[in-house]
Amino acid sequence: MLDTASRSAGARQRAPLRTPAGRTLANAVASAVLLVIALVALPDLLSIYYIDAMTQVAVYAMVALGLGLLVGRVGLVSLGQVAVLAVGAWVAARLLFATAQPYPVVLLEAGLITMAAGTLIGLPALRLRGLYLALITLMLAGGITIVLTTTNFPNGGHGFLGYNGSLVHIPAIRRPAIAASDPGYYRYSVVVAALMFLLVIVHLKTRPGRAWAAIRQSEPAALAAGISTTRYKLWAFALASFITGVAGGVLAGAVQYLYSIDFPTQDSITLLAVVLMGGVYSLWGALVAALLLQLLPALLHNWGVSADWLTILFGIGVVQVLTTAPGGLADQVPKDLARLGRLLLGVAGRLRPGAPRGGGPP
Amino acid sequence: MPSWADFQPFIVSGLALGGVYALSGVGMVVLYQATGVVYLAFGAVGAMGALIAWSLINAGTPEWLAWLVCVLFGGGVTLAYGMVFGPPLARRDPLVKAVATLGLTLVLFGLMDLLWTTNGGQSRAITLPTDNGGFTVGQIQVTWTQVIGLAAGIAIVVVTEVFLRYTKPGTAMRAMANDREITATLGVPVRRVEAAAWFGCGVIAGAAGLLLADLVALDATTLTFLVISSLAAALIAQLRSIVLTFVAAIAIGLIHDLITPIQALSNYRDMTPFVLAAVALLVPARQQLLSQSREEA
Repeated sequence: MLDTASRSAGARQRAPLRTPAGRTLANAVASAVLLVIALVALPDLLSIYYIDAMTQVAVYAMVALGLGLLVGRVGLVSLGQVAVLAVGAWVAARLLFATAQPYPVVLLEAGLITMAAGTLIGLPALRLRGLYLALITLMLAGGITIVLTTTNFPNGGHGFLGYNGSLVHIPAIRRPAIAASDPGYYRYSVVVAALMFLLVIVHLKTRPGRAWAAIRQSEPAALAAGISTTRYKLWAFALASFITGVAGGVLAGAVQYLYSIDFPTQDSITLLAVVLMGGVYSLWGALVAALLLQLLPALLHNWGVSADWLTILFGIGVVQVLTTAPGGLADQVPKDLARLGRLLLGVAGRLRPGAPRGGGPP
Repeated sequence: MPSWADFQPFIVSGLALGGVYALSGVGMVVLYQATGVVYLAFGAVGAMGALIAWSLINAGTPEWLAWLVCVLFGGGVTLAYGMVFGPPLARRDPLVKAVATLGLTLVLFGLMDLLWTTNGGQSRAITLPTDNGGFTVGQIQVTWTQVIGLAAGIAIVVVTEVFLRYTKPGTAMRAMANDREITATLGVPVRRVEAAAWFGCGVIAGAAGLLLADLVALDATTLTFLVISSLAAALIAQLRSIVLTFVAAIAIGLIHDLITPIQALSNYRDMTPFVLAAVALLVPARQQLLSQSREEA
């Protein structure tokens, strides 16, 4: 991930700058098809249970996108993203209760306020590197979680905190008028998530993306090339916080009732493991991670399998990614499928009489 | 504002808690120095050891045997992890090594949740026989477990310092902390010394798990992530000085418990380790030291 042992592996696929045109096109087509399926087909096909799970997938795809950006593109590891998500959700919930602003405005504000908070914390933290940065984010996340446990999430009460412990009928956090139903809100969150992915793609294709790539390769070299490393690292931090804040806003409307117990510090740890498993060098990794993190537990729950098996799987997965497959699932699965395809082609070729031996492309 | 008398009992519990934090912190510092691994599974290993001990005691095993199993489990799991994943990750960034131990944490955590389910809200507890005895200082009740907590902290500092300074494997560990390659060239059996460090760290994890299960709670989640608090002490000492780790741990334990009777701050007391660690890491003067640390070498 961040060091020389995997740098070459990372360099091969972290290549939005050098992607062949064909692959860009294929990616664009695949994303468009997926988006259409997600928006049109899925809400009709799935039960409410799975639609809600898919809304969570959209939320966590954004969170994973932010963390993947930090880890894979810039080489900053944060162990506190769930705390950032909680901050975004808190801000959004407070605004939704206090004001009648349109939903997109609230999301934007939640993103911007979370971004400000993240940048404020990031500014001193960026002086630290690698291990120490990761551990300090873990400490800060622990702190934020405790503050949120004490202040609680807004539940329609008054005052700055908006929490009233003696409320009997807690009002639900409102949803946008066009997306009041569960399928409607699901579509809404998919659109927001797609916009966030676009935002990141724009960043990666332009100046910041190039600067981040340079910083990831070698910070001294980037510095020597005239790149303001602090500025761009902070930019990455701000962007990731913004996206996570927006995700928090979407989450607030999705669950409608927020409790601090839903954002434990250990979730940040699981999140990092799953994001690494999904793959941090490809944007697809964020989607894979979100599916692993939210859809898989829903499936297992339905099948009556304990979610603990998943925790165990994530643990094994992260060790496997770190030791042998730095690209994660998003990188490994297509590669393995291609290998399997070649193998099958080879077998088929051998079975056909007169076919050249050894089949498949070299 | 509470009176002095309100604070008194919390001094004792704070010292005991600090002692156990010190135990964990020192364990992590020693392993980091010897192998460059921040062992984030420390809490999970201790928690699982304690749960195994609990099950054994419930099944009628003599208590001393259950405790021994707990401590050996910690050592065994940690040694196994170090032997399997230590070498392939030896040349990687310290961050990668630390994140890999998170993998072990998740595996153990999942296993614990699976094997010792928390359905029905029944709570488990390990009570060491030392809970009952005790004495009073002034008007403060002190249990022997609390004494053991602090004593274990002090003992681990003294033993580790002596071990590192005067014994051969200790000297080898210090040499490896400086430069693994050169140490290997000089004929030190690097792998064996590392194995010793892994095992030692695991044994400490088991012992800390047992003590914390008694002093705090026997709960997989609590114990697993309590490692974050003990890590704070090690971080304040920059993962280097054992004595400083001890001092930081005692400070964290004391402040944490002394805040408890103050109404306005009581809810925030669990933030103590995080705040102290954040301040210690972010104070600019430290930056110089950190940037020269092992991770860059």
